Amino acid sequence: MADIRLEGVRKVFGGKVFAVRDLTLTFPSGSVTCLLGPSGCGKTTLMRMIAGLEEPTSGEIYFDNERVTHLSPSQRHIGMVFQYPVVYRGISVEENIALPLTHDKRLSPAERRARIESVLETLDLAPYAKRDVSTLDNGTRQKVAVAREVARQPRIILFDEPITNVDVSSKMQLKRALKRLVKQHSQTIIYVTHDQTEAMTLADEIALMRDGMIVQRGVPSEIYDHPSDRFGGWFLGNPGMNFIDYRLDNGALVGGLFAQPLRLNQTTEAHILVGIRPERLRVQTTPAPNWVPARVRRSAIVAGGQHLLTLEIDAITVKAKVPESLRVEEGETVYVACDPDDLTLFDADGHRLQARILA
Amino acid sequence: MQAESTERIAYAAPRTRGLMRGRAFLVRLLNDIRVFPALLLIPVLIFFILWNVIPTLWMIGLSFYKYSLMSPNERFLGLRNYNDILNDVQVWASLGRTFVWVFAGVSIQTALGFLLGLLFWGSRDMPGRRIALTMLFAPMIITPIAAGAFFQLIYEPTFGVVNWVVRQFGGNVNLLGDTNLAFGAVLFVDIWMWTPFMILITLAALGSVPKAELEAAEVDRLPWLQRFRHIILPNAKFILMLGILLRTIDSFKTLDLIYLMTRGGPGNTTDLIALLLRRQAFEALEFGWASALALILLLTAIAFTSIYLYILNLSSKRQEA
Repeated sequence: MADIRLEGVRKVFGGKVFAVRDLTLTFPSGSVTCLLGPSGCGKTTLMRMIAGLEEPTSGEIYFDNERVTHLSPSQRHIGMVFQYPVVYRGISVEENIALPLTHDKRLSPAERRARIESVLETLDLAPYAKRDVSTLDNGTRQKVAVAREVARQPRIILFDEPITNVDVSSKMQLKRALKRLVKQHSQTIIYVTHDQTEAMTLADEIALMRDGMIVQRGVPSEIYDHPSDRFGGWFLGNPGMNFIDYRLDNGALVGGLFAQPLRLNQTTEAHILVGIRPERLRVQTTPAPNWVPARVRRSAIVAGGQHLLTLEIDAITVKAKVPESLRVEEGETVYVACDPDDLTLFDADGHRLQARILA
Repeated sequence: MQAESTERIAYAAPRTRGLMRGRAFLVRLLNDIRVFPALLLIPVLIFFILWNVIPTLWMIGLSFYKYSLMSPNERFLGLRNYNDILNDVQVWASLGRTFVWVFAGVSIQTALGFLLGLLFWGSRDMPGRRIALTMLFAPMIITPIAAGAFFQLIYEPTFGVVNWVVRQFGGNVNLLGDTNLAFGAVLFVDIWMWTPFMILITLAALGSVPKAELEAAEVDRLPWLQRFRHIILPNAKFILMLGILLRTIDSFKTLDLIYLMTRGGPGNTTDLIALLLRRQAFEALEFGWASALALILLLTAIAFTSIYLYILNLSSKRQEA
């Protein structure tokens, strides 16, 4: 266990591509942090610098106050699981896990045995223990790679999109195993992914990355419910947040989603972006006071048996997730309302506003 | 505009109708997926038949005859040529020497090439690496005749540099004239020439090792021997084996280098099978006998190839299983 501290870490490729821009942050000891962001946001580069596979252009990296910036990966005593499952060829699953352990002189044979047994158990690998690794599918191979790193008990384990190259059927299994694993072991884990559900289920804390910078850090629910930036609202959720442009009318939001004008406590901005998650939009088929009529343009079934509606309210188009029980046809008129607490307000540049809606 | 062009076609049609029909037929033929691949093969097949199949068949035919340019009458001998060859002490001696040549040459080239290749592979950030690589490959680019000529001068007892060095220590050596040393001296040139090829193959093979696997081993702190066994070798062995196969077949046919440097001498200590074959065919002009020997050598080379391919197949099957 160790905390990871970055100080002004920057990585520039070829003198002009800024992969990581002057990051200063700490990953607390014993926590699972997910680096989440779209492809090319610098999350993998950041992780590779922590692993020592990439040297920062400037800045320092510390593990528990020990400066490791210029140490090789093997000197850092870390574990890493790669995107592509890496197994050591020509030997069995058990031997794969044992291989890095045999060089740890402090480990007694009994201890080594116990560690191997334990990870085989945690990752459901016991039935494969004696199998040659080359006979396994990618999903199981990745499990072997995870087991190998966990058994080493390094101070930090890094995961670089471990689920990406695994076929769909083993994905769920691997996800479950990883979840169980992070619950059981209290190692410092950094987990890079572009898949938000992975991040949401595994992470103690999510660090949302974009263009080489951390946009927001926080526990998953906080990041999801209160994105600090338009990007977070858009990137998280499937589909992401609805954004509706409003021009303030006497310090109030008028029309569109709202039957009654909504007054804000701050009025410095002329333009306001109102964000609302599709699943927070309330929809019903019968008219009611203060509910706004909307026309259903499209209706589609999404995962979890829900319907995703594309609604038109005057000139505004929004998406809403509704339960299957609400039967609506395309072209029909429905009624929409929203709770002011579910709204997130952004300024014209996409930063969250402190402004609140007055009841 | 539209009308005019239609008119022109209508006018031209009677004269070109036959041609058009021929063209349509060709287009249909070319678009036929059963015919098109075969058409693509035809040029290669023509050359292959002309330059490979016919001469080989001719050679096989000749091997059953006494066919000598010295006497005008060819005589059918059946398997007599083969019988003669298999009972010829000189052939067996040459063949034995050739096997030693191939085995020693290829294994030293492979070992040396692999080691040097590893060093080069690890020196990715060394300044001047490209120039060093280019220089390293120079021996491979030089023709064997030129290389042989260089080394003849280097080995020359009166003004060659090797003997000059030996003389400084009070000795005297004629590398190409000494029955004990000539074979090694010539083999050294072959190794000098072909080690770069194995370096190239090694670099290609090492290039095929996935980066993530090497990084994982680095993170896992595996010792070099195990990185080699569990990562490098499983990934690199196919290309390495291909290199060894190519070198084996080529080494088996070595003629030019030795022909220039020693002509098989002194005595017959460097007389490889290809030299014997050349002598029988183009000096003794015994084409029947030489053809029979050539066929035996061809079959030997095919046997080598099959063994290698068998080994490769075996390991690839294990990989897939």
